[in-house]
Amino acid sequence: MLGMLGIPSGFGERLHPGWPAPLEREPNQPPLAWRIVHSQLIGADIVSAIRLIVGFSISIVVGATLGTAMWRWSALDEFLRPAFLGLQTLPSVCWVPLAVLVFGLNETGILFVLVMGSTFGISISMRDGLRAIPPLYRRAGLMMGAHGWRLYRYVLFPASLPALASSLRQGFSFAWRSLMGAELILAADRQGLGYLLELGRDNGIISQVVAVMIVMVIIGMLADRLAFAPLEKRVHNRFGLGAVG
Amino acid sequence: MFFNNGRSTNLKKPPAAGRLTLDRVCKRFAKSEHAAIQDITLDCRPGEFVVVVGPSGSGKSTLLNIAAGMTRPDSGSASLDGIPITAPGPERAMVFQDHGLFPWLTAAQNVEFGLKMAAVPPSERSDRVADALRMVHLSGSSEKLVHELSGGMRQRVAIARALVMNPAVLLMDEPFASLDAQTRTLLHHQLQNLWGQTQKTILFVTHSVGEAVRLADRIIVLNTRPGRIRKEICVELAHPRVFDSPDINELAKLVRKEIEQEVNRANALAAEDSWRPEETADLGTFADDVGSGI
Repeated sequence: MLGMLGIPSGFGERLHPGWPAPLEREPNQPPLAWRIVHSQLIGADIVSAIRLIVGFSISIVVGATLGTAMWRWSALDEFLRPAFLGLQTLPSVCWVPLAVLVFGLNETGILFVLVMGSTFGISISMRDGLRAIPPLYRRAGLMMGAHGWRLYRYVLFPASLPALASSLRQGFSFAWRSLMGAELILAADRQGLGYLLELGRDNGIISQVVAVMIVMVIIGMLADRLAFAPLEKRVHNRFGLGAVG
Repeated sequence: MFFNNGRSTNLKKPPAAGRLTLDRVCKRFAKSEHAAIQDITLDCRPGEFVVVVGPSGSGKSTLLNIAAGMTRPDSGSASLDGIPITAPGPERAMVFQDHGLFPWLTAAQNVEFGLKMAAVPPSERSDRVADALRMVHLSGSSEKLVHELSGGMRQRVAIARALVMNPAVLLMDEPFASLDAQTRTLLHHQLQNLWGQTQKTILFVTHSVGEAVRLADRIIVLNTRPGRIRKEICVELAHPRVFDSPDINELAKLVRKEIEQEVNRANALAAEDSWRPEETADLGTFADDVGSGI
């Protein structure tokens, strides 16, 4: 594991002399790529990715629905918005104890933390995005015969796309952070990237801890750079809204 | 004085549909001291070009919104060809000041939108969209996105979007107010030609006397606070008009004189006793606005 990311052996030893010496590099080790493929890292990534996809999908659906409902009914907005803004300030790891007590140390608990960590932000930005739609679009839609659900499907939903794209991008980073936090503590099935990080700590392998952290950063950045930022950019370009960072 | 050269639309056979009637319409908004519009009765003949002029706050837009079905009057009624107006609909197509085009659609898709909502088959849609874009001379820009079009082009797409539905009435809410003078004159020409071709009833709202005189069969001058019809002026100049002709300028001067008093009254009201505008001797050709800045 040590040489895997080019971290010199003895790194941990020098920092913390009392810690167990890291595993020595065996003389006839297979190539790096082979070792990465056969390490726990790939399996952990896949498990985390599945959790992320499932949890983030739930967040998007619940968050967008709540955001739309808040925009549609002002009484609901007045009731939920202050609560959501407050809950948004809560670090997502703080949902872990509640998740443990309510759901136990299991998959549902992890998803609960992930959903709680990202839904409120998506709701708020969806609501803000819908409110920012010029009233003129609604009038133009009505004038051209878009009534009832058609007004939502063909006018209001497309008009909210820039806000939705931005909220997805932001929501993803919240979801990813929440998931990693949850896996650190809740992964009773001994799977996932967060668990691998925790395992590194348990075994006192600094290189594993650092390596997993780097992988977490890389995955978070890749998802943003390859999926969410281009999506946001595409939507904003289409709308003529100028450059986004 | 305003001779008829034989090309007047009055001589053409009027279209069968498109009689827009407002009958003793009143509307007051909450928190407002005065009625936005009070007791307005207006009958637009099929194919007639009616321009409503008035200072800001004279209820011009409210009047148009009632005709569009976006606003319900407190009392009185609005009807199109005898059918009461209760909701917005494509038979009363509206062109907004800020175009209201959808930025996620191309020019052609914007024009197509109403046809799609009306479940017109796709093959027929593309023909009608192409026709409408040709009428506003934008065939070459059909695939452009809204933000890639100039202000004048956007308004032309908005007009095409309204015309493609083949409405009985075209409602225009200061459609050229945010354009520069050259573009506006160009669009006046185009609108005049379009109206000649299509023979639609047009109810057009503006605060520009010059615009009213160029385009209208009949000019309705509104009062402010409350919004009432102050004066109706029939323009008996033939179409298509030459915009810088002496006749037009003469008429514009007359209409301005009619409005001058009202503008001053509105200004005085807005200034709340502390300031009284001086009597304007001659507004001149370039003073088109009747109080847009109030």
